[in-house]
Amino acid sequence: MKPVLKIESLKKYYGKSKTRTRALNGMTFQVMPGEFLGIMGSSGSGKSTLLNCIATVTRPDGGTITMNDRPIHTLKGKALSDYRGKEIGYLFQNFELLDHLTGRENILLPLSLHGVPEKESRERLEELSSYLEVKDVLHKFPSQMSGGQKQRIAAARALILKPGLILADEPTGALDSKNAKTLMEKLSGLNQKEHATILMVTHDSNAASYCKRILFIQDGVIFHELRRDLPTETWQEFYTRILKVMAQLGGGSANVL
Amino acid sequence: MFSKLILNNSRQSRRENGLFFSSMLASVIAFYMILSLSRQDVMIFLTQMESDAVEKLLSMIPVFYSMTLFLLFFLIFYASKYQLERRRHEFGVCLILGMSRIRLFSMLLAEDLSSSIFSLSIGLPAGLLLSELVSLVTARLVGIGIVGHQFSLSWQAVLWTAAGFLLTKSMAFLILSGRISRQEIDALLSDTPEGAKKQMPSFLYGVSLLTGILCLTSAYGTAICGTAWTGLHSMGRTLLLGTLGTFLLFYGLRFPLGFLIKAVKNDRQLHIFNIRQIQEAVIRRSGTLALCSLLILAALCCFGAGVGIFRSYEESELHVLDYTFPNSENEKDAETIRQILTAHELDTRFSDLFEIEVGHIRTAGHAEHPFETEPILAALGDLPPSNARDILLNNLGYADYPYLISLDSYNRLLDAAGLPELTADTGEAFVYMDREFVDSERTELMNQILETFPETRLDDTSIRLAGPLQTTDLVTDRSLTLSFALILPEEAFSHYTQGNYEVYVNGILEKDLVEDAGLMSAISDTNQILADTGLSFESYLQNMGRQLFYMVAASYLTVYLAIIFLIIANTVIGVQFLMSQQKAARRYRTLIRLGASCPVLCRSARKQINWYFGLPLAVAACGSLFGVRALFTGLLSSGARNGMSEMIIVSTSMILALCVVEYMYIAAVRRSSDRYLLGLMVPEREE
Repeated sequence: MKPVLKIESLKKYYGKSKTRTRALNGMTFQVMPGEFLGIMGSSGSGKSTLLNCIATVTRPDGGTITMNDRPIHTLKGKALSDYRGKEIGYLFQNFELLDHLTGRENILLPLSLHGVPEKESRERLEELSSYLEVKDVLHKFPSQMSGGQKQRIAAARALILKPGLILADEPTGALDSKNAKTLMEKLSGLNQKEHATILMVTHDSNAASYCKRILFIQDGVIFHELRRDLPTETWQEFYTRILKVMAQLGGGSANVL
Repeated sequence: MFSKLILNNSRQSRRENGLFFSSMLASVIAFYMILSLSRQDVMIFLTQMESDAVEKLLSMIPVFYSMTLFLLFFLIFYASKYQLERRRHEFGVCLILGMSRIRLFSMLLAEDLSSSIFSLSIGLPAGLLLSELVSLVTARLVGIGIVGHQFSLSWQAVLWTAAGFLLTKSMAFLILSGRISRQEIDALLSDTPEGAKKQMPSFLYGVSLLTGILCLTSAYGTAICGTAWTGLHSMGRTLLLGTLGTFLLFYGLRFPLGFLIKAVKNDRQLHIFNIRQIQEAVIRRSGTLALCSLLILAALCCFGAGVGIFRSYEESELHVLDYTFPNSENEKDAETIRQILTAHELDTRFSDLFEIEVGHIRTAGHAEHPFETEPILAALGDLPPSNARDILLNNLGYADYPYLISLDSYNRLLDAAGLPELTADTGEAFVYMDREFVDSERTELMNQILETFPETRLDDTSIRLAGPLQTTDLVTDRSLTLSFALILPEEAFSHYTQGNYEVYVNGILEKDLVEDAGLMSAISDTNQILADTGLSFESYLQNMGRQLFYMVAASYLTVYLAIIFLIIANTVIGVQFLMSQQKAARRYRTLIRLGASCPVLCRSARKQINWYFGLPLAVAACGSLFGVRALFTGLLSSGARNGMSEMIIVSTSMILALCVVEYMYIAAVRRSSDRYLLGLMVPEREE
């Protein structure tokens, strides 16, 4: 099976030679189709830079990122826009819904941007809104929704064009535990039923326990890897393992790794 | 170090907000020009003959000036607010680094002062130059000699311009910077959301839209049919209705915009996003948009009406005679006048001198109605009813004791005017009515009647009236204005006047003299020589001066107001758009994350700019079509309304020209918006 995303020796440095910070210092890993991969690390470990490099928000200083056999640094103009909108779906910590558009309009925004006729995605909208339980709030503005509803609308927006890879940047960061649990169950369900490939950056070990594999990164390199032993390992067992790794590697939420 | 920081910041502000800075410059120029009006050559010249009217006009200037200062305050307030809002984060950082609030306040004050002085140092010389240019051009156009033109720097205008400008800027600045420097540091460092919008039931917006349209229709209706102009009360009601209507219309606009969103079947290229942005702007700032629309409407009306009035005075009269020496008391007969002129070597200045003989019926004794008007009134009564016919019926009802004009002398006048001479048989008379009493419609009606040669009686003798109706001015200005007269052949004239008539000697200046010095100077010089002769006279200068005064007054004030209104409205719209665009930076960043390319974003922003400018502009343009018409109804005399349709065409073309100005503003805002969006495309997160 070919990997969806291939990252090789990825480097990103900030600052000049003397004060240089190595945000990514030659990171290498792959994401396989249908995988639910979690990235954990402390603040400044480079996880957000990694996500930004994949999302083409930041240009790396070295190494390659290959998405479906296509190196993304070669993308320009329309191809780059299509990559951002169609090949990856982005789920933000703060939802980033446009507050002057209704739920439906927010979800359909990528269609408008990429010139996809709405009727082609009508079924997909129905399907996603029922699955994510946001049918009742489609006509509402974000200011009239709860945090969980906002994030599920944002998830529907990220999924509407069936992207090859969903990038989630601390998706539960702004949610309470109940809404966080619902969201993670939905994402996990999508991963299992639709084989959606998800790459999630998180601080939250609870959220991370829904992943199939977790990479712990520190100082720009992969420090440790955990794999959930499916189907035998239960969610609780995996969660305990994550906590154990965290405890062994420094413990406490102040120093996640 | 501190002063360097201030100068750099102020330079940076000017560079970043060129639109606002250019508007400031234009305001300074306009201020200087209106305040230095009294120093314009044309005005100095007019003061000599129409001093009362000129005084009145000049006394009105401070009112206009104060009014525009008041409006300018809002412009400066909005634009400065935008500039300061952009720098909130910077102020927060300054405070957190230990800068005292007083120092921050004085830094902002110094920056503002430096910008104002810069605007004045460019604007005042530009204003001076432009006002000199206008002075020279108008002087040349109206024929005042420009040889005597002197460079005229009006210190008073300079001082008032600087004082007014600085005062307005300081007031706006004090309010804004006081507000900013009082804020907590965390409030300055964080982005300020605009607050949740209040949504009302949509039927309320529909009702508001409908009421707005009704108010506007009623306001324009009363203004066009003329009832609005009957008194202060009705005018106030019309203005209130119009203003209220515009505000309600803009408030209700979210209703059709909501429909527009529902109607979109296929959302391409951020169409819904654009409409939602516009809807939000309308929701948040419907009042400002309505105000801007009213200002643009006022500007368009001022421009249209100014040009229309200018044209109406320019074309109102045919100029034939330069001088008239009235001789009603027969103290000096025509021959004596000629002798006096020759004695003062003035005869060489005239190419033609001829008499116009005008008298009353002296044969009728004490008869009250020596002229029978019934046949004309009956013929008029047979014509289809019209406003013009009613006016004629009313005026001719009093024409039973008409003046008589000698045909020979009238033919001399026609000859001088380059018109064909008239011939009349015995028992025949031509009808004369002064241009002031007939317009083209009434002339046509009279000619229709005169074509039938109506028979009537003059002092019990049958007389046949002939056409066409004669309207050429008998004297140069206003010493003789006849509402109805009969032009009689010499024999009949002598008979009816019994040789007892008034003589007016008309003079036409030598062509070379006029061509060399310009008409105004030629008349002006001749007047000075004539003053020594003791002759009473009237010259075309009074006539021309009056026309010129109206032309200058109308064009200067209306153009000045139009420019100021336009500047204010456009800058407020432009600055507000850019401000809301910056507040929506996060939305644009999200769009970029979702794959929006720079051209797509720029196109979307351009569409929004078109809408943002287009809405108030379209409402104003529609309104101005009625507004200019209403102004013509209210301001122009019936005589000047002759060429109403032509004037409306002129005004429409002026409005189109102003649309070009609008386009230039839109282009400037588009450029700023493109630049801003391009900046957003650069990765925002650099750790």
